[in-house]
Amino acid sequence: MNNNDIAEKIKAVYKDLEVKPKYSNQVEIRADGIDIVGLLAFIKSLGFEHLSNVTCVDWIKEKRFDVIYNVWSYTHKVHITVKSGIDRDNPEIPTVMSLWPQAQVYERETHEMFGVKFLGNPDLSPLFLHNWKDIPPLRKDFDTVEYSKRAYGASSPEGGNE
Amino acid sequence: MSDWVEITKIGETDKYETYEYFFGPNHPGMHGNFAYVVDVVGSTIQKVRVSAGLLHRGFEKLMEQNLWFQNISLIPRICVPDPDPNEAAYCTACEKLLGIEIPDRGKFLRSLALEMSRLTSFLMGMGALGAMMGLYSVMYRMMDERDNILVFFEWLTGARIYHMYSIPGGVRRDIPEGFKEKMLKLMDDLEYNLREWDRLLFENPVIHKRLKGIGTIDPVHAVEVGITGPSLRATGYKADVRKDDPYAAYPYLDFDIITTEGGDALARAVQIRKEYEQTINLIRQILKRMPGGDFKVYLGNPLKLRIPAGDAYARVESSKGEFGYYIVSDGGIRPYRISVRGPSLPAGLYLCNEHLPGMRIDDIAIWMASFAVCPPDFDR
Repeated sequence: MNNNDIAEKIKAVYKDLEVKPKYSNQVEIRADGIDIVGLLAFIKSLGFEHLSNVTCVDWIKEKRFDVIYNVWSYTHKVHITVKSGIDRDNPEIPTVMSLWPQAQVYERETHEMFGVKFLGNPDLSPLFLHNWKDIPPLRKDFDTVEYSKRAYGASSPEGGNE
Repeated sequence: MSDWVEITKIGETDKYETYEYFFGPNHPGMHGNFAYVVDVVGSTIQKVRVSAGLLHRGFEKLMEQNLWFQNISLIPRICVPDPDPNEAAYCTACEKLLGIEIPDRGKFLRSLALEMSRLTSFLMGMGALGAMMGLYSVMYRMMDERDNILVFFEWLTGARIYHMYSIPGGVRRDIPEGFKEKMLKLMDDLEYNLREWDRLLFENPVIHKRLKGIGTIDPVHAVEVGITGPSLRATGYKADVRKDDPYAAYPYLDFDIITTEGGDALARAVQIRKEYEQTINLIRQILKRMPGGDFKVYLGNPLKLRIPAGDAYARVESSKGEFGYYIVSDGGIRPYRISVRGPSLPAGLYLCNEHLPGMRIDDIAIWMASFAVCPPDFDR
């Protein structure tokens, strides 16, 4: 099956979702406010057994986080990107650990870098940043220059001490 | 955090004591700055905890602040022994968003750099595996062999380790005069030396004794936890990004997906040995079938390159598994978000919790080397 057939198959079950095939072998699904575990379980049952990663994009102007799931099918050779938009002020989404156990690490990383809370994940403790006390660093409102001045007394990039 | 710096006794019964032991970051068996904190009774591991982050350089944040072309100098640094798959994945994703197809010669040159990089990484990987078992002469011989390929990298790209060879639109320079003939001669030498690797490493009774049964994984579970590349193929599962999601010149080359049955560390070592031979053949094919014409598409002033708004995921088969780049652009001169999928994360940070308990301390380094766990690509 190519990406158009896969898109049709998903649309047949999830009628209100925005499913669009793109490039030669990718499908993009916009899944806001629906049961993400149910959708991903359905996608996995279609033969998409490999989870490439779980990540997040901060759309600060729209006040939204997009949690991204990249999945790949070894049988159909098609890639699906599932984007689930969640509220930026209260970022919560259920974990997909039950489908792919290694998602635990990706979710732990996303929690650390964006502050997204994955409900049901048993261990969301810091993974990379030891003793981090600021806002999650990959958010768009985290300013690296301002932080390095504040935390380390760094000089401005233009030169000279302030 | 005093409990991180002291080796602590965490339990005591009348028969034994349990200690917390740091495997890394300054351990001869550890590649890169990373540590497993293990609870041990005697030398048997009871529990494992990862201590990552010592190599975290904030690349994903840094890349959002650079121009599209400036990122080329950052990207190879994500994986030190095998840098080219990063460049190729980033450039393929950019080209998907730009909607351009690079010229055939560019594709072949990109594949050439990728396969040369794979050879250097395999040599380093096999050498590390030998060194972990005390066979240091294997490692020194293989690092010497790797240097021979690095000389050719310097000739082709101008740099030994971080090549920055692929750029959006093609590659940076054309193949130099006389390169082809000397490279083919080098391939003959590498193939001849395979007999030495067999005698030193693969026919050595030490590796059969030490590797058999270490870190056995079946194909179903390997797919479920996201293991890719040679480690997945060593379970007998037929999957290779070069065939499944073709990029660069791989659709024009003849090769089969090689697999090995077993799924343990020995099978993974044998798999790398087989793929090393296949890579030599691929380089010969690339050099012999190299088409003429342009090697890049001119995209205008690189400082003013804008990439249309949208997102794309591109994956590349590296020597360790699937390297993926998820790129989001808002149409500006800088990326909006870049997310990197490194091949070592599933094994290095997740599978260790399943495999290491019950193993002995001596086997951690072998387990890591056989899964090609490379900390820079999950720390980033």
